[in-house]
Amino acid sequence: MRWYVIRRVAWAAVVAFVILTITFLFLEITPDQQVAQLQFQAAQSGGDPEAALDAYEQRRGLNQPLWDRYTEYVTNYVQGNWGWSDTRSEPVLDAIVASLPYSIMYSAPSIVISTVVGMGIGLYSALNQYTKTDYAATFVAFFGISIPNFWFGIMLLLIFGETLGWFPIIFQTSIADTQTFSLANLRQLFLPIVVLSTGAIAGNMRYARAEALEYVRAEFVKTARAKGATGWRMLSRHILRPTLVPLSTLLVGDLLGLLLASSLLVEVVFGIPGVGRLSYDAIINQDTDLVLGTVFIPVFISVVGNLLQDIAYTVLDPRISYGDR
Amino acid sequence: MMAADTDNTRRGSSRFEDIDWNEVEQRSGSRPLLTTIKLGSFALFGLLALYDAIRNGPFAEWLLEYISGGPQAEYTVLGIEVATGAPTFDFGSFVWDVTGVDWLFVATLMVMFWYAVVPLARNPRMTRYYWRQFRKNRAAVISMVYLVVIFLVGTIVPLFISVPTSNFQAQLLPPVFTTVSTAAGGDCLVQVTDSVCRGTMAHPLGTTRDGRDILKLVIFGMRVSMQIGLIATLMNIVIATAIGASAAYMGGWVDELLMRYVDIQLTFPQFFLFLLLSYLFEPSLFLLIMIFGLFGWGGISRIVRSEALQRTEEEYFKAAQSAGASPLYVVRRHVVPNVSNSIITAATLAIPGLILAEAAFAFLGLSDPTIPSWGTTISAGRNYLGTAWWVATIPGLFLFFTILAFNFIGDALRDALDPRQE
Repeated sequence: MRWYVIRRVAWAAVVAFVILTITFLFLEITPDQQVAQLQFQAAQSGGDPEAALDAYEQRRGLNQPLWDRYTEYVTNYVQGNWGWSDTRSEPVLDAIVASLPYSIMYSAPSIVISTVVGMGIGLYSALNQYTKTDYAATFVAFFGISIPNFWFGIMLLLIFGETLGWFPIIFQTSIADTQTFSLANLRQLFLPIVVLSTGAIAGNMRYARAEALEYVRAEFVKTARAKGATGWRMLSRHILRPTLVPLSTLLVGDLLGLLLASSLLVEVVFGIPGVGRLSYDAIINQDTDLVLGTVFIPVFISVVGNLLQDIAYTVLDPRISYGDR
Repeated sequence: MMAADTDNTRRGSSRFEDIDWNEVEQRSGSRPLLTTIKLGSFALFGLLALYDAIRNGPFAEWLLEYISGGPQAEYTVLGIEVATGAPTFDFGSFVWDVTGVDWLFVATLMVMFWYAVVPLARNPRMTRYYWRQFRKNRAAVISMVYLVVIFLVGTIVPLFISVPTSNFQAQLLPPVFTTVSTAAGGDCLVQVTDSVCRGTMAHPLGTTRDGRDILKLVIFGMRVSMQIGLIATLMNIVIATAIGASAAYMGGWVDELLMRYVDIQLTFPQFFLFLLLSYLFEPSLFLLIMIFGLFGWGGISRIVRSEALQRTEEEYFKAAQSAGASPLYVVRRHVVPNVSNSIITAATLAIPGLILAEAAFAFLGLSDPTIPSWGTTISAGRNYLGTAWWVATIPGLFLFFTILAFNFIGDALRDALDPRQE
């Protein structure tokens, strides 16, 4: 198994490296939009567009050979030197670290809520398959995976913010900074948490139900039932434990990806200055280093998440043999 | 779905080892005529597309630059007058300037017609069987009706109406049968009392702040969503099937290489991959479709590979192989038709994700702002949510129900086509 883990870690490094390389190639073949802008500005202010281009290339080291730039690019990313954000005038990593707390403020609660609620409902409907509750739960799951989260957020703002006035429409950073664990902060984070949780609950619920259904009719559950295990004991000891193995891996892989993608839209809708909003602003302002940085964060979370998921499998599920891999 | 008619095997007169598979195919039934029409229709399509590419579009501009050294001159190539900017079809009242996306869409519809509608029509018995299975799920039937309406309205109506433009005599009108206070600041066509304004039939779903008709915006949005959903999914299916089937068939290092690549592509979270690519290139609907189509197939190819691996263990596969059928023939006639159920289900469940991604990108302003997509309208309505609730709400409802309908149908297809699922 150790050999498998070592190979798996090496593969994760290869994946990260390949993704960096492909991104570098894409950056090379696409026209740099900043160049056109700079040349235009230079021409407008009476300067020489060619000189502006030269100066730009000099500043960004674009006049060096391709291979030198490539090695420098990879070394920089590996060493944690992720570039400079022009719009924010600070290193990219600093900008990300500064905005991370705002993202965690609402995504951590929604990860917890969606996991607990989603799995709870999923297990419940697996145990009560084809009852009214099960149908209702399935319908809720369809609702959750189908509703566009950005539109759902706008609708909640319209109904509960604009019309009923229960929740504030504008996110106030000062409240989040000074009174992080206060009712006022919870009030302004409530709707984002609801939006982010809805889709994740639905996803969790469907997987939990499908996984648990495989074990509800398994031989060992029948045996347990025959020996008198009922209700909670059967659920927690015999169904939940084998179900948790694939679900735990689902958590890192799919759920994290879903949350990261949703969080960008949610932060734009609710005006939360987190990492998603940072990424969006960087795209709008053509701040390429910052765009790359904010895109690489989810990519590396995903690489590490996949790695942990595979290793977790070897630890959690003794049925899988890794001898021949 | 049921492309493989296996009655070829009944012709036992020829000796086993020298079966000419192509000849067998030619001899069976009415296929030659249909095949001729099919190939003819694709050839006609190709010629028309080439004509348009020469006469119009980016290729024409390049050609003009290349031949005459400047984009200003009129020129003829192969007897076709090159004129950039002129509409493709111009019959007086009916003008249709076919864009790159339109060409792709027509090609997709043709493929759907020849590889889904025609086989279904030629096998009425199987069609009835599938329909009986499908009919059991009432939500899926309703979804199907809804999607057919959206599809027909979205593909046909935009040919006859023009893209809604600003109209400063009809700003912020509410939908018909609803009223709004004039304090909101819109124009008012039907005044009920001094302070209440009612929507009119002229603009059944109301108008935006710059007076564009929401019904028309929604109809154009239907077309965009169908284009994204169908074209990109077809591209995904084709690539995923080719990659998945060849990985399963060839095995060895080809399998390893292809699947390792799929691993890497799937590790990159799809949303952020799309985000990065649409940032790096100039955003347009065509590009968005290309990005979704060329980089969204990883999941489906894994399904195809694992299904195809099971098929390669089966007797008919081995029989065809030992009878001397070429790899391409075996994959095309035995592997692909027998994994098509999984492909169709996976594709149906992938469509809503692509439609949602397009809407999200349009909402974020990362798509072509001149093309009225549901996401763009929602984004516009968000800025004056308090005064005009309908602008963001109505396109969002269409988006929500479209995604819901595809999910319902995908689920029903999985139940009907995949016997292993409960």
